[in-house]
Amino acid sequence: MDRVKVGVFLADSGKQLSKILDYNDLTNYVKNISGVVYVARGSEFWRGQGLQNIINAIKDEKINRVVVGGTLPKLSEVKIAQAVENVGFNPYLMEFIDLKDHCAMPHQETPSEATEKAKAMLLAAIERAKLLEPLEKLEFPVLKSVLVIGGGIAGMQTSVDLADLGFEVNLVEKAPFLGGLAARAGRFFPTDDCAICIQSPASDLKTITYTSRKCVYRSGFSEIPNLSILTSSKVVAIEGVPGKYKVTIEKKPRYVNEECIRCDLCTTVCPVEIPDEYNAKLKTRKAIYMNIPNVHPPIYVIDDSVCKFHDCAKCVEVCPTNAIALDQKTEHITLNVGSIVVATGFEEFDSSVIKEYHYDDYSDVITNLEFARILDGFGPTGGQIIRPSDHKLAKKIVMIQCVGSRDRRYNSYCSSICCMISLKHATLIKSTYPDIDVTICYIDLRTTGREHERYYERAREMGIKFVKGRPTEIYRDLETNKLIVDVEDALLQRFLELEADLVVLAPAMVPAKGTKELAEMLGIELEEDGFFKEYNAKLRPTETKMKGIYLCGGATFPKDAPTTSLHAHSAALKVMKLLTTGKIIKYQRTAVVNEEYCGDCEFCPVTCPYGAISLVPTTENHFVAQVSDLLCEGCGICVGTCPLNAIELRHSTTNQMLAQMKALLSINGTPKPLVLAICCSECGHTVVDSSGMAKMQYPANVRVMKVPCTGILQIHQFLEAFKAGAHGVMVVGCKSDGCHYEVGIKKAEKKVKLAKVLLKEYGIEPERLEMFNMVFIEGNKFAEAARMMTDKLEKLGPLQLMASSQVEEVT
Amino acid sequence: MEQVQEEKSTNMAFSKVITSRLGGKTITLCYQCGTCASSCPVAKITPRFNPREVIKLSLLGAEKEVLSGDSIWLCCSCYNCQERCPQKVEIADVIYALRNIAFKKGYSPNIYLEFASALLNNGRIVKISQFVENKRPTLGLPPLKPTGVEALRKILSATGFDKLRLKEESQ
Repeated sequence: MDRVKVGVFLADSGKQLSKILDYNDLTNYVKNISGVVYVARGSEFWRGQGLQNIINAIKDEKINRVVVGGTLPKLSEVKIAQAVENVGFNPYLMEFIDLKDHCAMPHQETPSEATEKAKAMLLAAIERAKLLEPLEKLEFPVLKSVLVIGGGIAGMQTSVDLADLGFEVNLVEKAPFLGGLAARAGRFFPTDDCAICIQSPASDLKTITYTSRKCVYRSGFSEIPNLSILTSSKVVAIEGVPGKYKVTIEKKPRYVNEECIRCDLCTTVCPVEIPDEYNAKLKTRKAIYMNIPNVHPPIYVIDDSVCKFHDCAKCVEVCPTNAIALDQKTEHITLNVGSIVVATGFEEFDSSVIKEYHYDDYSDVITNLEFARILDGFGPTGGQIIRPSDHKLAKKIVMIQCVGSRDRRYNSYCSSICCMISLKHATLIKSTYPDIDVTICYIDLRTTGREHERYYERAREMGIKFVKGRPTEIYRDLETNKLIVDVEDALLQRFLELEADLVVLAPAMVPAKGTKELAEMLGIELEEDGFFKEYNAKLRPTETKMKGIYLCGGATFPKDAPTTSLHAHSAALKVMKLLTTGKIIKYQRTAVVNEEYCGDCEFCPVTCPYGAISLVPTTENHFVAQVSDLLCEGCGICVGTCPLNAIELRHSTTNQMLAQMKALLSINGTPKPLVLAICCSECGHTVVDSSGMAKMQYPANVRVMKVPCTGILQIHQFLEAFKAGAHGVMVVGCKSDGCHYEVGIKKAEKKVKLAKVLLKEYGIEPERLEMFNMVFIEGNKFAEAARMMTDKLEKLGPLQLMASSQVEEVT
Repeated sequence: MEQVQEEKSTNMAFSKVITSRLGGKTITLCYQCGTCASSCPVAKITPRFNPREVIKLSLLGAEKEVLSGDSIWLCCSCYNCQERCPQKVEIADVIYALRNIAFKKGYSPNIYLEFASALLNNGRIVKISQFVENKRPTLGLPPLKPTGVEALRKILSATGFDKLRLKEESQ
C-alpha cells in the first residue's frame, strides 16, 4: 500500500475564526504531525479556489487522505465529497471537523484554550484519516415490478399510479371482488358521493384523464396494460431482499372463468339460498353470487362452503358461455417483484365483545358498516331504512359512538373517522326521511378536517339530537318489545331511556385480519395498537424500516378517504424512487464479521434492527454470522453487541475510534479535567452543532467524538477513555424513543448502566460516566450538561484507581 | 410513615392526593363519558349520588364539597360502574379512597362512628338488644356466641383502626 499522505485544509471562514483561534499556531502544529505532507489555509474549501486546491492536491498525487477543518461541515462535507468523487477519489478517505461550531464559537471567551482544543481535534482527525480505508461502491439489481397487497381504494390507487408510470403491478386481493371497505360503505364523507370511485387510469382512451374520475367498474381499471389483478388470493410466503423479492400467492378457485358475461342466468337457477352477510343479512344470496352489481371484476363467484357442485350443477347447464368451471383448484403463483406495498386496511371491531350492547342478541343492533348497506340505494333494502328483525320501517334511530375505541379494555385509541361516519349517516337519513328521529350518543365529537364541522352544523340544523354520554346498556323492554338505550345526559345531568327501533353502533376500526401474520412474513413491525408501524410517523409515513416495503391507507391507522388517497399516491412515489433506476447504489459502509472469532451466539442477528445479519453454515457443525451489505444500515449496533469482538463496522473500526479518542485526549490546554463526549452522528452530534451555532459557552476541556450510533459502543471503550486521560465521559444520543437506528440508544443506555457498576469495581466513581438524550434544538441543554459535568469532575478531583471497598467509603 | 405522607399531601392538588391512595390511582383517566352514572343503581333513584360527578368534582379540586357531603357514603359498592368503565377507572375503589381520606380528615357520618365504637366495644357493629336475644329461642335459633372482642381489638389496633376512631373522638 502507498504511504499515507495527509493533506490538511484549514478554513477560517473569512478570517472570522482566526480572531479566536491562532491559525499560525495551528498550521505549525499540524505541519509537524507525522504523515501530514500538505497544509493549506483558506476562507472555505467547499467551493471556488479552496475546493480547487483540494482537487489539485489529489490530482497531483500530493495527498491520499484529506482532512478539512472548517465550518458548516454538513454542507461542505457533501459538496467536497461529490467533487472529489468526480475526480476518482474515494470520499471515505476524508475526515471533516467543525472548527467553528464545535470549537471557536462555544469557547470564544477562552481563545487560547480553544486553540489547544482545535489542535487536539485536528490531531484526532489526522490520526483517524491515516487509518481510513477506501470503501467500495456497491450496486444491487432492482426489479421494476411491484406487489400491492390489498385491493381497497388505497391499493387500487397506488396500483393505477404505478402501472401508469410503466411498472409491472400485481394487485392481490383476498376477497373475490375489489373495493374493500369502500365498496361496502356506499358513500364517503366529505363529498357524500360514491365511495368506490377512482381517478381514471391513463389507459382509458375515451376520457380526459386529468379531470375524470370514475366508478371502478367502468374506469378501465382491468385494462391497464401493466396491471394484473389477483382476487381470492393471499400472500403465503415472501423471500428475498429489497429489489428482488420472490412472493408466493395462493389463489383460491373462483369456479367461474373469464368467459362470464354477467347474464345472471346462473343465479336464477341456483337452489342454494343463504343470508347475505355482506349486506347485513337483510337479504339472501345464492351460492353463486356477486356482492353488489357494480363490483370488479364483473365475474360471478361460487361460495364453495355451500355449493353442491356436481350434485347440482344447474348453473353449468344454463351458462351460455361455459364460464362455470367447477373443477378449478387452488393455484400457487410465484411472482418476482422489486418492491411490496401493503394496503391491507382496517375493519370493524367485533362489537359482540361488549356484552351490554347485545350486538349478538338483538338483530336491530347493527354496526355502521351494516347501516351503510341499508342506506345504499344499491343495498338490500334499496335505501329504505328498515329494521332487520321484522323489516318494518325504523322511526327512531339511536347511534352510539366509541364502541370498543377510546376504551382501554379493547382499543385505547380514537379511531378518528367514526364520528364523521355517524354524522354522515345521520344527515343522509334526515335529508331523505326528515321524520325519522335520530339521536347520537357521544363522548366527544371529533370533526377535525375541512368541511367536517359543516356536517355537525348541518346535523343540528336538521334536528338530529345529541346526547353527551356513553350508554351503559341496550336492553329490550319486555312489554313494548322496543330497544331501550340507557344513558346519562351528562350536560343535563339527567338519566334518559331512549327508545329505538334501530341502534347503530360505531365500532372501533381495527387492523384487518391477518395483519400480524403478514407483518411477520415481511419482517416489519406493528405498533402497539396492532397497525403497521411506519418508518417515521412525521416524515416517512409510507415507508417501513425495510427498504423496499411500503405502506399505505388504513394499514397504518384508520383513515378517511382523502387521507387514504394522499397516502396511496405518496407510497407510489416512494416505490418509483426505488425502482426507477433499476438498481440500488450504496457505499459499503457496512458491518463485517471476522469469521475466525465468530462464536455463532446469535446475539447479532437478533439485535440487528434491519434483519441484515444471518447465520450461515461453514463446516458441518459451525455457523458464522454474515452481514448483508444491502440491508445493513451501518449503525454498528451489532459491533456493540458482539461479546467476542468479531464484528467491525467499516469506516468506524475499533482502531479508528481508539486512535481518534486517544488524540482528542492527548492535549488538554485548559486547567479543567478532560471530558470525552461520545456523540452519535444523528441527534448527538447535531446538538453540539446547535449549541455552537447559538454561541452557547461551555469549557474547552469537553472533547467531542462522533460515532455512527451510540449503539456501537462497547464497555471497554469507556475504560479506554479513562485510560487515555478522560476524567469523565458523556454519552450523547437521541431521545430514548427517537433513535435513528431504532434500538441503538436503548442498548447504549443499558451499557452505560452496566459500565457504572463495573467502574465502581475498578475504583472509578460511577458518576464520571453519564448518559444524555438530546435532540438538535436542545443546544442549551448540551452546553449545560458539559458545564455540569466539568463542575462535577472538578469536585471529584483527579481520577484515582481505588479498590472498590474504598469507593464505598467515599460515597 | 403514614403521617408524613399525610402532611405532604396537604400541599398537593386534591387529585394527586387521591391517586396516591390505595384504589385512587386511576381517577385521572376519567373522560366523563357517564357510563358509570347510567350503570349506577343508586344514582337512578337519588340525585344525591352520581359517580361521574364525584369524580369530576374531585378532579376539579372541590375537596371540601366531596369529602364533607354524604355523596361518597351512598355508593353501594356493586361495582357495576367499574366493570363497564371504558377507561378502566376503578370507580368503586376511588370512592373507597375518598372515604378513607374523608374519615382521616374528620368528615364521617355519625352512623359510621357509631359502628366503629360498637365494633371496638362489643365486637359487633350493631348492638344486640335484650329483645332480640329473648326472641331467638322462640325462633329456634341458638343463643349468640360471645364475640371474642379482645382478639378483635388486637387485630383492629394492629391495623390502626382504633387510632382512627380515637382521633375522631379527641377532635
